[in-house]
Amino acid sequence: MRNSLLIAMREWKERIGSRSFVLMSILGPVVVLGMIYVLFALGSQPKQHWNVLIADPAGLMENKIMAGKDISIDYSFADGYIETEEFANGKKYQEFDALLEVNEKVLTNKISHVFYRNEPSVRMQTRVQYYYERRLEEILIKQFTDLSLSDFRKIKQPITVSFSDVYDPENKASDLSGWVGFFYGTLIFVFIFLFGMTILRSVSREKSNRIVEVLLASASPNQLMVGKILGIGFAAFFQFVIWTVVIGFGLYFMRENLFPDLLDASNMNIQQLTLNAADATYQESQFASHEYNKFVDLIFGQVQFVNMTGFFLLFFVGGYLFYGALFAAIGATMGSESDGQQFVLPLIFLLFLALYSGYFVLNYPENTMSTWLHYIPFTSPVVVMVKLSQGYQPGEAYEIYMSFFVLLISAFMMMAIAARLYKNGILQFGHRVRLKHVFKWLKKN
Amino acid sequence: MLEVKNISKSFYKHEALNDVSLHVNKGEVFGLLGPNGAGKTTLIRVINRIIQQDSGSVRFDGNLMTQNDLQSIGYLPEERGLYKNMTVEAHAVFLGRLRGLSKADIKIKIDYWFDRFNINDWRKKRIEELSKGMAQKVQFICTVLHEPKLLILDEPFSGFDPINIELIKQELIEMKAAGKTIILSTHNMKSVEEICDRVALIHQSKKVAEGKISELQAERKLGLYAVRFRGSMIAFVNALWTGFEIVDKTILGDDRFEVSLKMRGDNSFDDLLKVLIGQVQMEAAWEMLPSMQDVFIDVVQPKQEEVNNA
Repeated sequence: MRNSLLIAMREWKERIGSRSFVLMSILGPVVVLGMIYVLFALGSQPKQHWNVLIADPAGLMENKIMAGKDISIDYSFADGYIETEEFANGKKYQEFDALLEVNEKVLTNKISHVFYRNEPSVRMQTRVQYYYERRLEEILIKQFTDLSLSDFRKIKQPITVSFSDVYDPENKASDLSGWVGFFYGTLIFVFIFLFGMTILRSVSREKSNRIVEVLLASASPNQLMVGKILGIGFAAFFQFVIWTVVIGFGLYFMRENLFPDLLDASNMNIQQLTLNAADATYQESQFASHEYNKFVDLIFGQVQFVNMTGFFLLFFVGGYLFYGALFAAIGATMGSESDGQQFVLPLIFLLFLALYSGYFVLNYPENTMSTWLHYIPFTSPVVVMVKLSQGYQPGEAYEIYMSFFVLLISAFMMMAIAARLYKNGILQFGHRVRLKHVFKWLKKN
Repeated sequence: MLEVKNISKSFYKHEALNDVSLHVNKGEVFGLLGPNGAGKTTLIRVINRIIQQDSGSVRFDGNLMTQNDLQSIGYLPEERGLYKNMTVEAHAVFLGRLRGLSKADIKIKIDYWFDRFNINDWRKKRIEELSKGMAQKVQFICTVLHEPKLLILDEPFSGFDPINIELIKQELIEMKAAGKTIILSTHNMKSVEEICDRVALIHQSKKVAEGKISELQAERKLGLYAVRFRGSMIAFVNALWTGFEIVDKTILGDDRFEVSLKMRGDNSFDDLLKVLIGQVQMEAAWEMLPSMQDVFIDVVQPKQEEVNNA
């Protein structure tokens, strides 16, 4: 064990001292934070500006729209019928992005149509509907009540009806949170493959420069392999901690400084929205937050970081040991450093298989195949993360422990296989890798 | 000190060692000789427990060798490697610790050896910045750093210039004087003659000879004697008359000659001296023993021919 630790320490020092490690530790989290920022920022920027023509043959609207300037939509009025074909092709209508038909019977049948040239964003749809509704409200109040507009709005109590899954009232299992699990799983695999390839390269380099013979005169092949996997694993873990801390601080900073209003629960209160309807700036933020709050809410509200991170670490370790041993075994069978390139393609295939499994489970969580993928050690680290973020049904939590147990047993079995290949293959160099040699090494004690 | 008994080892269909036995006494320098591919490196790897023998045993200090005994051995393999991006000092510390030394011990020993080899300036240099010879020195230091009881050196002189060969040779001689046991596998026969006490010759996976250098040489001596003298060659030939046969002669210049000859009949070395004294001015006379190079060729060549004939 002492030898393994010494070898592990050497590997660890070499890794964390390398330029690529430092670069990855800084660039990695910055890229992730940048992507999150872009997602946030995109949601907050009004992108579209619309010219809307309101065809109002009955003159219901009196050429007026609700008070308060909507900076992203300009309204114009026409007092006759406009055929959709005419609107689509007529020259004089080309400047308009959409046609809103105010049916004469709209006050009774409550139906209107909007014909657009380019599909509007959800926000744009909400805006048009919002402004149109408010104007119609005014007309209705005037026609059917003696109330003033402000009085009416005081007594009008819109009800928000929220639909929730009875088994998941907090909507933890939404598609979006499933994606968070997928992100976690991908992170596990990115780290496993980055550092797995490091193991492979490092083993083949030791073979090619013959230092391995000097080491073998003091340590057993098994100690050598375990030391290498552990040392590189410590470095991987250390880098992961750096990523977590930097991304964590980054998210905190964004929440406190860049997007503080987005997280205020009252922003989603429709009553408030109505009361403040005249305040255009305020409306801006409402529409904005309504759209991308889903994402912000997901990142800052829905994801159970503590729970996820706990299991993430378990499966990170299990998955790393499993794949680390596999990479070490491949490294030990190689006949030259360039042999590694031949293995890159199948390994990338394996990576994609694992990631695709996560994607598959994201879409078909209840499928039989998903259950298998949940236990197969090649795919379980990513699949479990997806399932975890989707939420296990009550009473099925044992599945996650079972999957971890299977992964751990597989990791030890893979270590035993790798140890054999390591023992018999580590001194062979300059040969052509043949499958029959690999089988012979496996059989040989 | 070390006893190798009936070791056999095969790699698939290739037999690398066939029933090889030998013993190395404490405090001696033991040469392991043999042509390329004879099985020397395989034997050394078996001794170092790097590979497992198919049959046979290795005893160290009377007991079956264990993993722990490796800490008492310093091994310098033929194909050497170092971590290229580590510094010289870090490398020495790493290998020293792997061989059971404490950090404090390593520091003292590094100071001693770096001074001795005059490489203090290299401490912080990365291995990749060193020349091949420099790296070889570092490797040698790493091998002896933990003061092993048994040193196993596979081709320790390869890659060194003559000055450094001499340096390493002197180190080995000093270590021998300090009571260390050394196994030396080399093709450098001159060094073998100079520093080895006993040798074993391995050929085609078998041990074909083992013994003291003088014994092996004596076994293969051809009864040749050499005389170096000053005077007339005619007087020399006349003095020998029919009792001795001249095999070869070299003119050294200024009436000086060196002649090799064989005895005829029952004549002895004493008889030779008796007939020559007074006839020529004798400078030296000695019995010509085969060099280790000759012994090596003598052992290997006929077997090679046998193989070729077969």
